[in-house]
Amino acid sequence: MADTLIAPVADEAPPVEERRRSPRVRKTPVTYLLRFIVTAYLFFLVAWPVSLVVTNTFDNGWESIRSLLEDPDMVVALQLSAYVAVWSVLINTVFGVGMSLLLVRYEFPGKRALNALLDLPLSVSPIVVGLALVLVYGGRNGWFGPTLAGWGIDVIFSTPGIIMATTFVALPLMIRELVPVLEEIGIEQEQAAESLGANGLQRFWRITLPSIKWGITYGVVLTLARSLGEFGAVKVVSGNVLGQTRTATLAVEEKYLNFDQQGAYATAFLLAMVSVACIVIVGIIRPKNHN
Amino acid sequence: MSIEVSGLNKKFGDFVALDDVNVTIPTGQLTALLGPSGGGKSTLLRIIAGLEKADTGSVSIEGVEATHLPAQKRNVGFVFQHYAVFKHMTVAKNVAFGLEIRKRPKDEIEHRVQELLKLVHLSQFAHRLPSQLSGGQRQRMALARALAVEPSVLLLDEPFGALDAKVRKELRDWLRRLHDDVHVTTVFVTHDQEEAMEVADEIVVINEGRVEQVGSPDQLYDEPANDFVMSFLGEVTHLGGISLRPHDIELEASPQLAGSVEGTVSRMVRIGFEVRLTVLTVDGDEVSVVVTRAHARSHGLQEGSTVWLTPAAGATVVPRMAAAV
Repeated sequence: MADTLIAPVADEAPPVEERRRSPRVRKTPVTYLLRFIVTAYLFFLVAWPVSLVVTNTFDNGWESIRSLLEDPDMVVALQLSAYVAVWSVLINTVFGVGMSLLLVRYEFPGKRALNALLDLPLSVSPIVVGLALVLVYGGRNGWFGPTLAGWGIDVIFSTPGIIMATTFVALPLMIRELVPVLEEIGIEQEQAAESLGANGLQRFWRITLPSIKWGITYGVVLTLARSLGEFGAVKVVSGNVLGQTRTATLAVEEKYLNFDQQGAYATAFLLAMVSVACIVIVGIIRPKNHN
Repeated sequence: MSIEVSGLNKKFGDFVALDDVNVTIPTGQLTALLGPSGGGKSTLLRIIAGLEKADTGSVSIEGVEATHLPAQKRNVGFVFQHYAVFKHMTVAKNVAFGLEIRKRPKDEIEHRVQELLKLVHLSQFAHRLPSQLSGGQRQRMALARALAVEPSVLLLDEPFGALDAKVRKELRDWLRRLHDDVHVTTVFVTHDQEEAMEVADEIVVINEGRVEQVGSPDQLYDEPANDFVMSFLGEVTHLGGISLRPHDIELEASPQLAGSVEGTVSRMVRIGFEVRLTVLTVDGDEVSVVVTRAHARSHGLQEGSTVWLTPAAGATVVPRMAAAV
């Protein structure tokens, strides 16, 4: 007994050094060729264009960003984008967690169909999503819209429509992040908690939620990035009313078409920075041993 | 009687996991549910714990009708084969879980956790995460966690199944000693007959969803109810119309005892002090016999020798069943 007490700690996991040591691959000309192709590909497709956005933004120093923030319509657009993104993240987190639990923990007829349906927002063009929402909720000719309008709720050409379109488009991201995590943790921890006297709510707050918190965090980051950047679906449903329903991405397009390239680049830069910041922050606060 | 199970049936689709099971588990004892994999013993344990629902039948724990009680209200401690540790909590937090759910005062929880960690020899690991413990340590922590709520019964589902042989043996001895100290009614599932015989006060043999026999380890070994129990608890061979253990056969080089059966040694393997023989009898049986090295030598046994076999006096025998081959 004594020797197991003082303990080889973690006798299952091999030491770190051992895992890192991968078999040495001999470097041939093919290795260098492949490296070159990958680097060039990423450079021309991603790094160069993005870096041009940055350099163009700062052609005149901070001037472009300052003038952007001094334009009240632009401030409204940025605020609207943030507002919509936050709602989309909230809605998708709540429903994403619920839906993932449903998909992983329960068997029910139509589960496969639901699973396939959840990928729909990724596979259809956002424009189609926007048009579909107009068909249902359009204030004049929509299927359900006139009824809602009768109650004084405008969906299309108004903030609720923008939130709906954005939420729809970002819907699968949280679920696709959470399902594998839930599958991996299994239900034994919850059963253990159950036998220790915890009720459903206590099990969820104390066991399930802490176990999937990093999955949720990544889901939130992805959903946030996607929501901030959504353009097509929002363009259809927003009506693009200056200072009311014009989001930041719509502003980028408008500025670009109006030959205000500097403004377009600056707005695009701000949007991109928020997403990058999210990823960096998560990278910093995430525990090192998390895998 | 601590746990009473009656008329329990459970099916998974077409598969019958439990078939009219009736068992009574005595208070304060260490009981083993023993049987081959897929025999229904884990299902029975999980139904007792409330983690699985029976199709029909009833369960009562300490005289309380528990059939429809959810797991969280049964006050049972459950230990899983793969530990089911709460990965995001420290060892101390894991053990404290049940007490925190019960909203006990903070200092009482702290005191009790320290006491339990001492009991399972994990005091110095209180602030570690489970991922920093070995398998055996994790299982001891799981045991402390289950004991923390002072359960009326402690249920262990193949508790040592995921551990390596050496740690398994240590933990087995340790569980026995722990039970002698704590005296909580304990039921554990195992497919290892040696483990059951060594640790348990009482063994319930379960096969194909039915209870084959209930008894103390000695009773089971000496008076097996049937061929299955006998063969599950140790090696079995068939001589004439009976089943018996290979070491319970007397072997002579000449017909000395009445009723002895003549045969020829067809195979002979020596392992340490024992010699294992396969004897083809004139009746057409293939009989395994185990004798000591000295015995084999004194009779000058070798492959091809003619021998006479008799069941030893006091041997455990059961009538041979048609199904058993």
